[in-house]
Amino acid sequence: MISLRFSFFAQCLLLLLLLFACSWISLFSWSVITVTPADALHALYNMNQDSIAQHIVHDLRLPRVLVGIMVGANLAAAGVIMQGLTQNPLASPSVLGINAGAALGMASVSTIAPWFGLLGSSIAAIIGGGIAWAFVMLLGSAWRGGNEHGRLVLAGVAISALCAALTKAVIIIAEDQAAGVLTWLAGSLTDARWQTFDSLWPVCLIGLLGAMLIAPTLNLLQLGDDNARNLGVSLMWVKLGGSFLVLLLVGSAISSVGAIGFVGLLVPHMARMLAGQDHRKFLPIAMILGACLVVLSDTVSRGIIYPAETPAGAILALIGAPFFIYLVRKRTL
Amino acid sequence: MATRSLPFLILAMIGLLIANLMFGAVSIPFKQILAGLQTGNEHYFTIHEYRLPRTILAMLVGAMMALAGALVQGVIRNPLASPDVLGVSHGAGLAAVFYMTFFPNADISWLPAVALVGSLVAALMLWWLCGSHSSTIKLAITGVALAALYASCIDFLMLVKPLEINNALLWLTGSLWGRGWNQLAMLLPWLLLIPFALWLAKPLNLIHLGDDSAISLGIKANKLRLASLAIAVGLTASCVAICGPIGFLGLVAPHLTRKLVGGRHQILLPATMLVGAILLLLADLVARTIDPPIELPAGIMTAIIGAPYFLWLLLRTK
Repeated sequence: MISLRFSFFAQCLLLLLLLFACSWISLFSWSVITVTPADALHALYNMNQDSIAQHIVHDLRLPRVLVGIMVGANLAAAGVIMQGLTQNPLASPSVLGINAGAALGMASVSTIAPWFGLLGSSIAAIIGGGIAWAFVMLLGSAWRGGNEHGRLVLAGVAISALCAALTKAVIIIAEDQAAGVLTWLAGSLTDARWQTFDSLWPVCLIGLLGAMLIAPTLNLLQLGDDNARNLGVSLMWVKLGGSFLVLLLVGSAISSVGAIGFVGLLVPHMARMLAGQDHRKFLPIAMILGACLVVLSDTVSRGIIYPAETPAGAILALIGAPFFIYLVRKRTL
Repeated sequence: MATRSLPFLILAMIGLLIANLMFGAVSIPFKQILAGLQTGNEHYFTIHEYRLPRTILAMLVGAMMALAGALVQGVIRNPLASPDVLGVSHGAGLAAVFYMTFFPNADISWLPAVALVGSLVAALMLWWLCGSHSSTIKLAITGVALAALYASCIDFLMLVKPLEINNALLWLTGSLWGRGWNQLAMLLPWLLLIPFALWLAKPLNLIHLGDDSAISLGIKANKLRLASLAIAVGLTASCVAICGPIGFLGLVAPHLTRKLVGGRHQILLPATMLVGAILLLLADLVARTIDPPIELPAGIMTAIIGAPYFLWLLLRTK
């Protein structure tokens, strides 16, 4: 037991170190104006006001990395909660349509009613994602439980397709030329600034704390709905609360960086491999891993066609889609 | 009952053909359309160079995609199957985009052949992942996952090597934007596949009785399957090479037709082609006229109709 607990903390520590290394690399790599690794560290605690490189790190790179960390943690936690709630290994914000719904909500608010501003767009994302999620759960007959895994996923995919089509239509009609659509739909950290950070962190904190609080209950859900009910879990409240948390996490993430996909699908499985089935342990590990993944792919996305940038979401989709296929193939559906 | 709806379908298609020629960024009165076909007329460019080839393309592509869907659904007894759901069209699209990105100076007329290779690879990939005995839902999910993979690759290529946005949307969602006589000429040889498909109608009926009965009636079941799937892949690839992976058309059209004329393939296959043509003509008309001069990709319209229909099918699938 002691060795287990030790290994859990050791894992956390190692992953945090990894996250720190990723962030540090992300701070100085692939910059048009040369930024040295030392500049990246100086900008954090002892900033030289005259150095352009350090200004770049402080004003552009640092908020970007921080937003990336939070978005990754949010999406990974959302994936864990969704897989726990639906008992479906394929559940994740992008597969079950929440990403697309949130994107649609944001696109319609920002084009039809632009005066809402940043706060409004995250609420729109939450509402849009919530509607999509409700539809998927109803159509995929997930509330009834049982072996409806495949149906749920297909319902999610169809809702995603519908929302994506509507989003594209709204954006193309609203802006005379639709050049930004692809980048935005893929999800990119390019526009992350301190302002984004300021509006993201309170929601992120609440969401992640909520996720940690719900983790023990998710353990009980793993025993099956009937057993969980016998152990005193109120299924309806857990599912409603869990869904609300998921929407909060995903909505805030998407409204700040666009529809980054597949983190929520990929990371929970990796975390489960590292830390086993106990949600109290693999949830924090999933958060750190998600943060690493997003920061890493953001770094890579800057290097691929340097000096131009590729959206980080496009790279994550390239990693995530084969993994999705692997999961479909591995699990008997 | 079966044949009674055919005249209506034909009338609807002709009506849509005319509507497609009349409406757009500029509305042209009906009487002017015929005059517009002659050189020198003020509407010559709009009608002859722009709307006429596009309308004919919409008709042909709609018909071919619907036919491909009907063939696939006839062979794989799976209501959710169709080239677009199974990832075949996105495979073709990926091959085409790959070809255009990495060989920018290459001959465009090779595009259908390249797309054919892509769709064949996609079909083989699906077969390799699923085998021949998969459940309805598993086959559909694997197909959808593969389609997502190809779409993300297309997306990635587009973002790394940016194209003009209408072009990009064309390859991601399917669109008839900017398609003209050249593309129509590219599509023509592939029309030869249609008679072959119609010729398969009778054996396709028999295969619905089950493999054993079909074999005792003298049908080579596996050869028939292979032939219809190959034709379906060919039809899909040629369409995708021209106007990108237009989603849900191959799924929806055969289902609608089966409701109208029943399941006999001798009537079903031609009627499906009509319905597919009607759907795509309608989608393109709406996409062009909803907010002119901006035009939406037709693939967006077919997704808006098709995705709810897919959900409905999903609800009914046991």
